[in-house]
Amino acid sequence: MAPLKHLEMENPIIDACFRDFCSSHGILTVEDFLIHDLYELAAFAERQVDADRLKEGITVMLSLVEVKCRPWLNGMELLEDLQRNKQTLSSGDNGTDSLLQGGLREGQVTELVGPSSSGKTQFCMQAAASVAEKQEGSVFYIDTGNSFSARRIAQFICGSSAAAVLRKRVLSRISCHTVYDIYTMFDTLQGLEVALRSQEQMNVNECRLRLLVVDSISSLITPILGGSGSQGRALMVALGYLLKKLAHEHNIAVLVTNYTVGAGENGKTKPALGETWKSIPHVRLMLSRDNRNNSCTISILKHTSMLSGQTVTRKDNQQCL
Amino acid sequence: METSTLPLSSSTRGKLISAGYTSLSSISSVSSTDLARDVNITEAEAFEILKMANHQVTGSSTSLINGARNAWDMLHEEEALPRITTSCSDLDKILGGGISCRDVTEIGGVPGIGKTQIGIQLSVNVQIPSEFGGLGGKAIYIDTEGSFMVERALQIAEACVEDMEEYTGYIHKHYKANQVQLKPKDILENIFYFRVCSYTEQIALVNHLDKFISENKDVKVVIVDSITFHFRQDFDDLAQRTRVLSEMALKFMKLAKKFSLAVVLLNQVTTKYTEGSFQLALALGDSWSHSCTNRVILYWNGDERYAYIDKSPSLPSASASYTVTSRGLRNSSSSSKRVKMM
Repeated sequence: MAPLKHLEMENPIIDACFRDFCSSHGILTVEDFLIHDLYELAAFAERQVDADRLKEGITVMLSLVEVKCRPWLNGMELLEDLQRNKQTLSSGDNGTDSLLQGGLREGQVTELVGPSSSGKTQFCMQAAASVAEKQEGSVFYIDTGNSFSARRIAQFICGSSAAAVLRKRVLSRISCHTVYDIYTMFDTLQGLEVALRSQEQMNVNECRLRLLVVDSISSLITPILGGSGSQGRALMVALGYLLKKLAHEHNIAVLVTNYTVGAGENGKTKPALGETWKSIPHVRLMLSRDNRNNSCTISILKHTSMLSGQTVTRKDNQQCL
Repeated sequence: METSTLPLSSSTRGKLISAGYTSLSSISSVSSTDLARDVNITEAEAFEILKMANHQVTGSSTSLINGARNAWDMLHEEEALPRITTSCSDLDKILGGGISCRDVTEIGGVPGIGKTQIGIQLSVNVQIPSEFGGLGGKAIYIDTEGSFMVERALQIAEACVEDMEEYTGYIHKHYKANQVQLKPKDILENIFYFRVCSYTEQIALVNHLDKFISENKDVKVVIVDSITFHFRQDFDDLAQRTRVLSEMALKFMKLAKKFSLAVVLLNQVTTKYTEGSFQLALALGDSWSHSCTNRVILYWNGDERYAYIDKSPSLPSASASYTVTSRGLRNSSSSSKRVKMM
């Protein structure tokens, strides 16, 4: 926890005298301050020579703590927030939308799990095209495997018009970033957070960000996970936390893809990234492909408000203009 | 704890956090001498940490705006992207024109199907000059099995030059001296060959490639034949193998994107027990299968060699047949020996 002297630069009241007073009571860091009995501290401050300054210091500390703390929300406020800010985004495919009761929900992290070439990237690109076209929101696409294909997204933008002007408008709402290691990913997400905050302050409501796609998150995390030390897992959880924070605070739907690994003799595949990652996404969907029928099945592994195990099958999407 | 996201060694990070520096703003407000004294590290290390923290706090938002490329711009870039022909027009057709640059393509198949032949053919074809519709670039060939034969490369190079001369003669019938400048010897000179004998050498080479390609900007294709060989026998710890391989895959992706070149990885096959029967699958496991942009599987169908697009972000699944002749890779159905250029 931060030692008290770090607060001095911005709050000159917490000067050396205040800190000496605190350390005489065993308070060296912010954590100690929070644990200590504050009434007792104030009573001791009364008896000191510069009582007013000390009490002012204590008040400033308390106000800093309140600022850092998240505000309390009651159920009604949460419901209002949900109805007003967090809408459902269509994923571009009617079958999936009916399975998910509307589609991808803003404020939630949805994870797509599937073996190789089961259609995860296609799903992501279709969702991006649908959000950019129908919901008129912008899309932030983070690609770790050079699999973003603007041409394929242009094919998803269907419609008899398909005029060049429409295509240009829709495609310019999708921005793609390539990221090849987890530290760059943190940089990108933190930069996105700063940009979103400044955008909200300026109240620019046109084409706000509605969908964030990370394809795929497991290729960033697998190189650091495992081995000696839990640093990899800490980074994975920090990344998950950052994604959930972005989703909730800025009303974005986050879509991440993960792959499956074989689970030994019984041959059943399970999602990669292990048990710790399991609890991070809000919704987990499993894709499996049937090569003979050329169809792909989506089943729910985990959902915040629906029964898991429901499936929907859809034919391969070979839309061409 | 934001300091955990800085790329530091775990001991340094542990020292930082136990000294109380958990957020980036707390680091950026301290001088490097104070930091060095508090955390018990050298001043040079403290300076590095300060630089990293400051870069994160200030630099990231501007780079976001500058680095943003929207899909409309990328559409035009993608359509203008050059492709390396495989000299077999059926194969080129299902690949959308050839092996695309900026992608990592994995080609796998049973032994003897022609993977090394494809590798050698691509390293020759990338050098076709732009007048004939090629890229006019150089090739890097990383050989882990020792299957690259210079005589075969010379044979294919000679065939390629002959085809180009024939093509020039065909088009520019009226012009006499439109000779092809490229000679087979030049083609061989432009293939950079690396022989790798262990997995550590392979990893070291991949790390070195960034610097090598910055110095030789003409390189347009990197072929690794094969990527599996050293990873199949030496590893006891499979988890470590997965980590090393996924890191290597990311490095290849980064190379492909940064220098706009094509990376072709040749893979071997193994048997896998799925759905109650043993089937052939590409080696290195499930996690490796996600590390490429495109995947092409080569297989036998009767007496013919076929290639099947297994994974691609924008191409439909299709298969095409090809043959391996003395002049290199060619169409199997066509009886003419002339390669279709452009």
